[in-house]
Amino acid sequence: MDRVVPQAVPLGQMEVFQALQRLHMTVFSQSVSPCGKFLAAGNNYGQIAIFSLSAALSSEAKEESKKPVVTFQAHDGPVYSMVSTDRQLVSAGDGEVKAWLWAEILKKGSKELWRCQPPYRTSLEVPEINSLLLVPKENSLILAGGDCQLHTMDLETGAFTRALRGHTDYIHCLALRERSPEVLSGDLRTAKEVQTIEVYKHEECSRPHNGRWIGCLATDSDWMVCGGGPALTLWHLRSSTPTTIFPMRAPQKHVTFYQDLILSAGQGPCVNQWQLSGELKAQVPGSSPGLLSLSLNQQPAAPECKVLTAAGNSCRVDVFTNLGYRAFSLSF
Amino acid sequence: MSSESSKKRKPKVIRSDGAPAEGKRNRSDTEQEGKYYSEEAEVDLRDPGRDYELYKYTCQELQRLMAEIQDLKSRGGKDMAVEIEERRIQSCVHFMTLKKLNRLAHIRLKKGRDQTHEAKQKVDAYHLQLQNLLYEVMHLQKEITKCLEFKSKHEEIDLVSLEEFYKEAPPVISKPEVTMGDPHQQTLARLDWELEQRKRLAEKYRESLSNKEKILKEIEVKKEYLSSLQPRLNSIMQASLPVQEYLFMPFDQAHKQYETARHLPPPLYVLFVQATAYGQACAHMKSSSQPPRQDKTLSVAIEGSVDEAKALFKPPEDSQDDESDSDAEEEQTTKRRRPTLGVQLDDKRKEMLKRHPLSVMLDLKCKDDSVLHLTFYYLMNLNIMTVKAKVTTATELITPISAGDLLSPDSVLSCLYPGDHGKKTPNPANQYQFDKVGILTLRDYVLDLGHPYLWVQKLGGLHFPKEQPQHTVIADHSLSASHMETTMKLLKTRVQSRLALHKQFASLEHGIVPVTSDCQYLFPAKVVSRLVKWVTIAHEDYMELHFTKDIVEAGLAEDTNLYYMALIERGTAKLQAAVVLNPGYSSIPPVFQLCLNWKGEKTNNNDDNIRAMESEVNVCYKELCGARPGYQLLTNQLQRLCVLLDVYLETESHDDSVEGPKEFPQEKMCLRLFRGPSRMKPFKYNHPQGFFSHR
Repeated sequence: MDRVVPQAVPLGQMEVFQALQRLHMTVFSQSVSPCGKFLAAGNNYGQIAIFSLSAALSSEAKEESKKPVVTFQAHDGPVYSMVSTDRQLVSAGDGEVKAWLWAEILKKGSKELWRCQPPYRTSLEVPEINSLLLVPKENSLILAGGDCQLHTMDLETGAFTRALRGHTDYIHCLALRERSPEVLSGDLRTAKEVQTIEVYKHEECSRPHNGRWIGCLATDSDWMVCGGGPALTLWHLRSSTPTTIFPMRAPQKHVTFYQDLILSAGQGPCVNQWQLSGELKAQVPGSSPGLLSLSLNQQPAAPECKVLTAAGNSCRVDVFTNLGYRAFSLSF
Repeated sequence: MSSESSKKRKPKVIRSDGAPAEGKRNRSDTEQEGKYYSEEAEVDLRDPGRDYELYKYTCQELQRLMAEIQDLKSRGGKDMAVEIEERRIQSCVHFMTLKKLNRLAHIRLKKGRDQTHEAKQKVDAYHLQLQNLLYEVMHLQKEITKCLEFKSKHEEIDLVSLEEFYKEAPPVISKPEVTMGDPHQQTLARLDWELEQRKRLAEKYRESLSNKEKILKEIEVKKEYLSSLQPRLNSIMQASLPVQEYLFMPFDQAHKQYETARHLPPPLYVLFVQATAYGQACAHMKSSSQPPRQDKTLSVAIEGSVDEAKALFKPPEDSQDDESDSDAEEEQTTKRRRPTLGVQLDDKRKEMLKRHPLSVMLDLKCKDDSVLHLTFYYLMNLNIMTVKAKVTTATELITPISAGDLLSPDSVLSCLYPGDHGKKTPNPANQYQFDKVGILTLRDYVLDLGHPYLWVQKLGGLHFPKEQPQHTVIADHSLSASHMETTMKLLKTRVQSRLALHKQFASLEHGIVPVTSDCQYLFPAKVVSRLVKWVTIAHEDYMELHFTKDIVEAGLAEDTNLYYMALIERGTAKLQAAVVLNPGYSSIPPVFQLCLNWKGEKTNNNDDNIRAMESEVNVCYKELCGARPGYQLLTNQLQRLCVLLDVYLETESHDDSVEGPKEFPQEKMCLRLFRGPSRMKPFKYNHPQGFFSHR
């Protein structure tokens, strides 16, 4: 019967284009605001969307509160990495670092505060920036990416003070050891030659069909966990020996220490929780087919918004209010 | 003992001093007045207070005597008897007094009662009187209010205002000296004036009527004259026909069409007028720059029998006669076998779906001389318009198998505007009519009747509200006019894009991706991957494919779309591509979903680079459109897929542990193999330099 026939919403040209765009969206990076109530997410179209965690988590949350409060075009290319200082949101992607004032963003003004580009050697292609790392003690920012170098930028003056060379391929990720002023960067080797761990050379964790790249890295005092092409492995740094190899086939794209657990995510729709001994404690399914970044909101300013968010190959950012299940998804 | 003695004595006492008492009892009948001792009268004379004193005294005496008698008796002694006797006598006297007093008291009581009763009656009488009076007062008050509420008839009459009255009325009527001070007189005078005026107006009305009559008669005469003129003019026209033909002046033909157009139902008429106007406007625009040509891009014609259309507008009694006649005939013929219920319902359905005998033909000519023939019908009982379409091309086409649906009349115009698939009646009121005769949906009749697209209704000026049924829908010229130009343009684009697709499909089926020369720059010179298969698949099959889930969930896989499956091969790698072709091609791009069979099955779910390839063709399709209007998009997308597959295979990292050469040696120039956290391959082709980079 005519009136019973289920009718999909008729799509015009714009709607189809938007639907396709959403379908092919990848959320690369996330960052929590200094107040802890907002989450910034950057996608492959160079847009940054700000979600209000406090509104989405409140008891009277509606469908609209899971949509961005504000979305703005930040970069021409994908936004690969974002960090938040106590006042600014720093985003990077296609070779440029841009900073935005959190206060301005929340007032829906999206004028960049400053932008700068590390000193690259001229090349046909501008190298991308894959990872940003804040060093609060020095008030500096370390960036790394396509040019196989680490650049240190003084946040006070905006000048690039150091460049660390040594990597032979491009750098995926960075991590900082809190006790000693060492920087670990993920690829084939760590930087500054304090220590070099050639993960792929260890037979137990190398996986030649996946390649040698290190996609994720995290540190906790003397311990480091990394994964990617080679299997996800826990290392003891002083002795530079692998302690635990986690039995996970799919390449991992993000790993982090959380209390006595290791959280990792990558290919596949799940957030994996590991015991340090190598046991898989839980696999919590999310809504994306693949995950690229995890973010733990531990801002002391907003204890009610203490959540884990996971984003990846979809336009959705999954929110976990506890580690056991996905509560809901924020969506571009 | 004492009581006994008093009893014994009683009659004596009565006798001794009781002559009057005896008289009262015995002779009361005979001597009522005369010597009658009236105790009642005595009552009035005596003072009750003193009687009371007397009663008290007598009682004391009696007590005292009794006490003495008792005293004497207790003392005993014979001499006491006398004293006792004496005392007894004394007490008897006292008893008499008591009796007397008792009687008096009784009489007094009675009298008192009588007096009270009398007074009571008097009060009652007064009360009654009072109520009567009150009632009378109320009645009078009512009468007064009635009078006050009285409305005179004159209050309903609208009178001229006071100033006007004094200004216009003659002093004979207005009498200002009398009426100025007296409102009553004033009103009377005003009424008089009103009457006077009305009389005058009535007179005027009568005059006007007779005037009108006269004019009507004149009109009648002139009409007769004109109608006698018509045949003469006709004969002149007839005579001039050969001359017109001789001079190539198609005035008469156009005139005839306009004549026929008069019999069109309103929506078709609106369509006819607007389409003609639009066609002429286009022709003018062209003729201003170019020499006038015989062929117009838009030609309009009316088809069908005018007589039948005329018959529709016959006066109702004729048709009734017809009906009864036919009924009678029918009865005669089908007297023996009565039509079954199904046949009756069928007839009713036919009646409901009946279309107007006249239809409007619209021929839309495209640049390459292919013509879109549109025939518009009007369904009288449903109050909707439908259209049938047919495409004819200048040169005969070899129809590829997969292009079957492209130019079929059923689907060529589907979704001209988003969501307008023309299978559902646009008039919400129809559903109720359908329910009556058991038609489930118009969909089953669409092939026969034509499609009731929304834009067709708009061209006919029919505007239907979204949901609420409404029976009065009027044909509106402005609605039609506002849609004419865009719709005609869309129709042209649609036909051209379909024809372009038609051509492309013919090559695709033979495994050739027909890249035109102006799009060559989009692709590298050497493309190794080849298209090996291009087939159409059913909507249901598409829905069931395991790698198309995302598209289905995003609501992009509607059943109005066309679905195809392409297979691209290079060596052992086979890339399946499921394609959704929106009817709105090429403004809405085809959507590809990929599945690569090479070293296991790879889809967007488990391989980021497959996902990236999909987004290259689906999202970045704008750079693949080529020259406007971009009919080559599909071909370019397929060619791009071939290139992407080359890049994907050639940049796949080589497994060191496997012996032997790589299956796909890297031939493409790439700046870097991987980039970014998700390790994307360099899919972007840079034209003049010919290298690949990351997007």
